[in-house]
Amino acid sequence: MENPVYYSRAEYIETDTGNKVSRRATIAGPQNIILGGKTIIASGAIIRGDLRRTGPGHAVVISLGRYCLIGEGCVMRPPYKTYRGNFNYYPMKIGDHVHIGANSIVEAATIGNYVEIGKNCIIGKFTIIKDCAKIADNTVVPPNTVVPAMALFSGSPGRFVEDLPESTSEMIEAQTKGYYARFQPLPTER
Amino acid sequence: MTASVQYYCPCLSATPHPPPSNLASSSYSFHPLHSLFFCEECDAVRCNRCVLVEVSGYYCPNCLFEVPSASVRAEKNRCARNCFMCPNCQNTLSVVASDPPDTEDSRSSPIVISTVGEPPFFLYCNHCRWDSAEVGITFEKPTGLAAQLQKFEDMAPESLEFERLKEYYEPQLPAASSALHRSVSGVPNFNGLSRSRSSREKGHRTKKEEESVYSARVEAGSSKGLASGSGGDADVDFLKHLETVSEVAALEQRWVNSWTTSLHTSDLKPFRIPLHSKKSKRCPSCRHILIKPEQKAQSVKYKIKLVAANYLPAINVTLPHAQAAIEMIKRSSTMNRQNAAAIVEEHSSAAAGNMLAGKTYPFHLAFTNPLYDPIQVRLHVQRAVPASDPAEKTRRPPFAVTLPSSAFTVNAYTETWGLEEEDDDDMFGGEDDEFDAARSGQKDAKARGRNVAIIERRANITVIGGEVMIAKEAKGNVKFNMLVTYTYRSDDPEPTDPSLSPSKSKGSKAPEIKTFSFYTVVELGKIVPREEPKPEAD
Repeated sequence: MENPVYYSRAEYIETDTGNKVSRRATIAGPQNIILGGKTIIASGAIIRGDLRRTGPGHAVVISLGRYCLIGEGCVMRPPYKTYRGNFNYYPMKIGDHVHIGANSIVEAATIGNYVEIGKNCIIGKFTIIKDCAKIADNTVVPPNTVVPAMALFSGSPGRFVEDLPESTSEMIEAQTKGYYARFQPLPTER
Repeated sequence: MTASVQYYCPCLSATPHPPPSNLASSSYSFHPLHSLFFCEECDAVRCNRCVLVEVSGYYCPNCLFEVPSASVRAEKNRCARNCFMCPNCQNTLSVVASDPPDTEDSRSSPIVISTVGEPPFFLYCNHCRWDSAEVGITFEKPTGLAAQLQKFEDMAPESLEFERLKEYYEPQLPAASSALHRSVSGVPNFNGLSRSRSSREKGHRTKKEEESVYSARVEAGSSKGLASGSGGDADVDFLKHLETVSEVAALEQRWVNSWTTSLHTSDLKPFRIPLHSKKSKRCPSCRHILIKPEQKAQSVKYKIKLVAANYLPAINVTLPHAQAAIEMIKRSSTMNRQNAAAIVEEHSSAAAGNMLAGKTYPFHLAFTNPLYDPIQVRLHVQRAVPASDPAEKTRRPPFAVTLPSSAFTVNAYTETWGLEEEDDDDMFGGEDDEFDAARSGQKDAKARGRNVAIIERRANITVIGGEVMIAKEAKGNVKFNMLVTYTYRSDDPEPTDPSLSPSKSKGSKAPEIKTFSFYTVVELGKIVPREEPKPEAD
């Protein structure tokens, strides 16, 4: 079986719902961020929950589903645009079983379930990524792109490469659950 | 390169046995488990190469509109809404308005301007900053752009020529195809391209038109009227006076077109985005449906989904020596720098799965049972074709693989396995017989090596150990074909007593016990020659 991924207990905060958030991650505006449970936020990640929609009341800026992973050094930033002369930020919604590789920058509007984003990707503003899509490593997805379900995108600009196999959802689910199970504190601090 | 296991689909060969794994061509017959299908009727594995594919629906990959198949042909397989592709970088284009004129009243009512915008409208690429005004395409209204662009496309001389050809040959097709149908079996009878024309009209025009000679709109060979790019003098002239390479449109930018197009980058036109399709898949021999997607284009659910992962045990291969090496590299990062570099150097080869010639390595195979019944698995390494010729003998694989020869059990899959993780110690309570069997397996394995045995058993996973002995003068990859045979009880819903099943499956052949076998190829890693234990720096 695959080896566990160890982390030092001092670095991560574990919530009641099983989220594991690194103390070395920058979480701005935590009151505007929702984590679905069993989601891991690795060290060095930046999540900008402070970039909220102008206006009164409580606003959810970034919501993440269950079994997600925000890799090391990722930047999650809600998309913005000027509409009818008003500058505004718009919420970012991410589904379940979404893994985002290290050092990627995400400004998507919606990311579906079972999505895999590689390392060093740039996901442009207002991108919509549907279920079971995959973004290969080092891909630049331009703003306003739509990535259809079960598609593999790669390159710069990110382009459709091929359809993914029909069993993608089961594979990704097993993979994300497996990663969460393997991600455990060091049994004894060496 | 990491160790991998791939599964065999026999569709490319006449025999059920796979080609020797050392042949480069054998890789076409092996596939990762998750890309395979399983036909219940034929009781066989099917792959993407052999299944019959049918289109079950069309959709635009950008606006995700589900296009009814009736309008797909009229719209020439492209999106008829406002989706366009940049001819330069193939990104999607967005419609933008011109800058508003700088007058005072535009300031007073910013709302009106930003919603509608000022004509002319044009298409703009967010990635490479190409815009359609460069090639003289602008629009008065921001809606219905596809219809306007399709008009351009249909006006192309090649397109008109094609329409004319189609018009000329269509009446002759039924006669020709029925003749073909008679002489060549298997060719379906043609029943007309356009359903709009009445069959009676077709019938009586056929005879007459057969005699008439087709007259082309444009004389063949003349580049007049056709776009440049067809190799005329104009192209030669253009290429002679070329200043930068980017003036010539790349092949990638041109071959998405239906016709030959201009060589000039400045002539590239925006495309309507080609449609994608959802596909259903059928078994090639019994025609039963293996994959049937739901109607909704963006749904990832399937009405029918018979994938091999739900029928065959999943096999994972791990190399303990490579894992140990990775662990050493990780640990070394906490050490002082000098030491760390040396350790990384020493272990990076092993971490990549490389093996030294002349040594013996253990490996682990983890079997995961997807069925709701326990299975008995038996493994065989496919020997090379018996060498009749003594000269052939030297060409046998330069390594020997040892696997446990007795059958082992992989427990049934139950929904609860996913919930609790490691606390299944009580699982092992009543299975002493099993372990005796395992131990006896160990005993007879002792002669060959202590690593060949059942190593671990938990939930629906059984890990077995194998060993590979690499010859001194070996080179290449450690890669071998493995026959996996498993027996399972198909109709019995109650879990069989695991202590009884090994003897039972060997001795009596109860009718409800079924056997299925399949080939896999196991790739462990590269053999590094002994003379240079460290890999060359490359």
